[in-house]
Amino acid sequence: MNTCRQRILSAVAVLALLWSGCAKRQTPASQEVVVYTSEDQVFSEPILKDFERDTGIKVKTVFDTEESKSTGVMNRLIAEQNNPQADVFWANEPIRAEVLRQKGIAAAYRSPQAEGIPDVHKDPDGYWTGFSARARVLVVNKRVQEKPTTIFAYADPPQKGKSVIANPLFGTTTVQMAALFTVWGENRAKAFMEAMKTNKVGISTSNGESTDFVAAGQYDFSLVDSDDAVSRMRQGKPIEMVYPDQGQDDAGCLIVPNTAVLIKGARHPENARKLIDYLLSKETERKLAFADCAQIPLHSGVETPAEIKPIEAIKVMKLDYSAVAAKMQEIQPYLKEWVGF
Amino acid sequence: MVKYVTLVLVVVLLIVAGLLPVLAMLAQSIIADGRLSLDAYATVLRSRNQWALLWHSIALSSLTTVMATAIGMPLGVLLGKTDLPFRRAFLVLFTIPLLIPPYIMAVAWFHVLGRGKLVARLCGDAVAAVTSDLLFGLPGCVLVLSSVFMPVVMLLTMAFLKTVNPRLEEAGRNMTGWWGVLKGITVPLILPGVLLSALLTFLLTLGEFGVPHYLRFNVYPAETFSQFSAFYDFRAATAGAMPLAAITLAALVVERTCLRRRTYEIQLASQAGEILSVPLGRFRGLCLLLVTMLCLLVVILPLLILLAAASSLGAYWQALTQAGDSLVRSLLYAGTAASILTIVGFFAGYLIHYQALPFWLTIDSLTIFLFALPSTVIGVGLILLWNRPATNFIYATPIVIMCGLLAQYCAITSRITASTLTEIPASMDEAAQMVGAGWVRRVACITAPLAKKGLLAGWVVAFIFCLRDMGISMMVYPPGLDTLPVRTFTLMANGPTDLIAALCMIMVLGALTPLGILALVFKGSRFRA
Repeated sequence: MNTCRQRILSAVAVLALLWSGCAKRQTPASQEVVVYTSEDQVFSEPILKDFERDTGIKVKTVFDTEESKSTGVMNRLIAEQNNPQADVFWANEPIRAEVLRQKGIAAAYRSPQAEGIPDVHKDPDGYWTGFSARARVLVVNKRVQEKPTTIFAYADPPQKGKSVIANPLFGTTTVQMAALFTVWGENRAKAFMEAMKTNKVGISTSNGESTDFVAAGQYDFSLVDSDDAVSRMRQGKPIEMVYPDQGQDDAGCLIVPNTAVLIKGARHPENARKLIDYLLSKETERKLAFADCAQIPLHSGVETPAEIKPIEAIKVMKLDYSAVAAKMQEIQPYLKEWVGF
Repeated sequence: MVKYVTLVLVVVLLIVAGLLPVLAMLAQSIIADGRLSLDAYATVLRSRNQWALLWHSIALSSLTTVMATAIGMPLGVLLGKTDLPFRRAFLVLFTIPLLIPPYIMAVAWFHVLGRGKLVARLCGDAVAAVTSDLLFGLPGCVLVLSSVFMPVVMLLTMAFLKTVNPRLEEAGRNMTGWWGVLKGITVPLILPGVLLSALLTFLLTLGEFGVPHYLRFNVYPAETFSQFSAFYDFRAATAGAMPLAAITLAALVVERTCLRRRTYEIQLASQAGEILSVPLGRFRGLCLLLVTMLCLLVVILPLLILLAAASSLGAYWQALTQAGDSLVRSLLYAGTAASILTIVGFFAGYLIHYQALPFWLTIDSLTIFLFALPSTVIGVGLILLWNRPATNFIYATPIVIMCGLLAQYCAITSRITASTLTEIPASMDEAAQMVGAGWVRRVACITAPLAKKGLLAGWVVAFIFCLRDMGISMMVYPPGLDTLPVRTFTLMANGPTDLIAALCMIMVLGALTPLGILALVFKGSRFRA
């Protein structure tokens, strides 16, 4: 009995020791900032570490990703509304940032670093500001002879069973669908989606997974984010990237910028503004362009790697993001039914 | 008096950690614009599509439970009760799938059975087309989830085998062979444990969303998930979780009905910790072959896929550099939570087994209800309840994770304790009571020591579940204090494949190392042929 008791006490002592070892020295509140981010951790963490190193402000982060379908960050921000823990939300697209504005969770902040970013990528009242964008591109397996150049390929009968798309209820694919409903109108967009269904489009859990399926030859092509395509191309996967709908009469390619949002009632507002300034800077845009996500700078004159086109060279789909956000909420029940949930 | 105060304190702890957050969510789900409204529930009941999804979930959970139990229980008997060679090695290997996120196991299986993958290279594209079609659907889901949850059945079978009194088996051996003893004495005695493991497997599968979503098989948890993730509608999400809770309670009733017909009063606990080993004789080689083949199929193959992906030392170094802190935190949180769960579970199990308070059935149902609830519901409930300036010391610290883990996993330790206590004769406690021993003394000197193996098994299972937990931790981890599963999951988006595979391998080693140390420290069972 005594031996057993001694063993249990030893185990408790080990746990206590580990806890005391983990209890790091507290950072003074004035020297920290809390950021929630839905940008992929593999891309956002290096930027936040650089910010820590450059400013001496400790960054405490809650990472999430639409890709993992973990439902974490947005629900936390909404549930924490009455006693916010986050200072900044770094969203990987503008629509959820717009949802936060509509729910009264965002606060207005016009950063001096936003100077030079086109107005279309900023909330007119300063509740969110876009930076470093991704393009919605077609990723095509290299063995495919005739490469699709338009998203209408999804409804093209010869492509039956050869295409895959990420679940349109989540992530940037929702944004894509809401954009199509906004630009085309409800009837045309619904007809397109029904044609996709008739054409037996596969539904994947994420854009990354769609890209992997195309690379594996499970499907011929998919509409994904440019960072998914570039990261796989850099891994040597047999895929090519096509900017869709670039013809004179075409609607253009959807551009999805990251967004920085100041949280209303933030505990560290000064540090939050410093972090937002840092995120919106040309230097951060340059880093994100040369990272594996290969994001497209929105400031003009920022150096980019060879495999991505500068924003000026892409025919961009013309959009009002607040209209897309409103449309997104409106079409969610239809999308849910379309998916079969 | 001490007994009632202690048990009531445990009940209060469960209510505070588990029930209040859920009540906060339920309250929100029935109030719209400041008025009472059951619209969210009416919508769930009216939807035809959701009934179809519910049927999918029930079918998937039932098939997975049958498969996991049909394989896991005999495997547990072979590893825990026979002279099969390499038992310890097999035990470690078969536990591994439980430590790897199910989604990653599904991806590993895709690399085996998908088009253009391993099967295609070995058997041609035509065969791969068939295996791929099977993988992406109900059969694939059953395969992946059975391999992931089969260790639950195996571990609990092994744990309960250790509580079987060898005297009863020796008596049986005088009349019949080992097959008859196993069929007539051993298996019936461990039936509560087997049923418990089947119930846990059923509930774990019922709440699983990642694997079916990846393998294109729509299931009911998608309802709650999409309401949270796409609509940010807490009311609809909570209402959507209620059918799962109802099925859970129905499964609980079935389990109780099955157990009620049996009596365990004649059993005497094994004092020396001895268990009789069944000699396999001429079947030893055949059993070894079958177990090895099973191990190759459900463990080694997917593991090799992961190992092949993480073949460079650089990936492990990068993983340790990026996630070393998260690993330490995970072990710490899981170790602490498992210890709390073991203590709370012991008293909750005691309360349930001895029906020590009038509302013992409510407590049992509550823990199972919390186990079956989607973690997002508990997570958001914890935020709504504790995220206030006055309670920041809970919400902004790992205490909130402990609360969540206690709420979600208490059913495991309380049920293991309750089942273990059925093996301890009431007469021992009564004898001590007659000579004047108080309740605390009887629990400390008789009940707890006799239930030691069940408690240890409960701690191990709770540790594994807490270590692999993603749902609760993701929702409430304090900024900058993530766990390894959370970090692995968030790095999966566009993270290098070798890094993710290395993180999974580190997770497996991180879990097995403390369990190995524990096995060495507490090893006590002596086999006797």
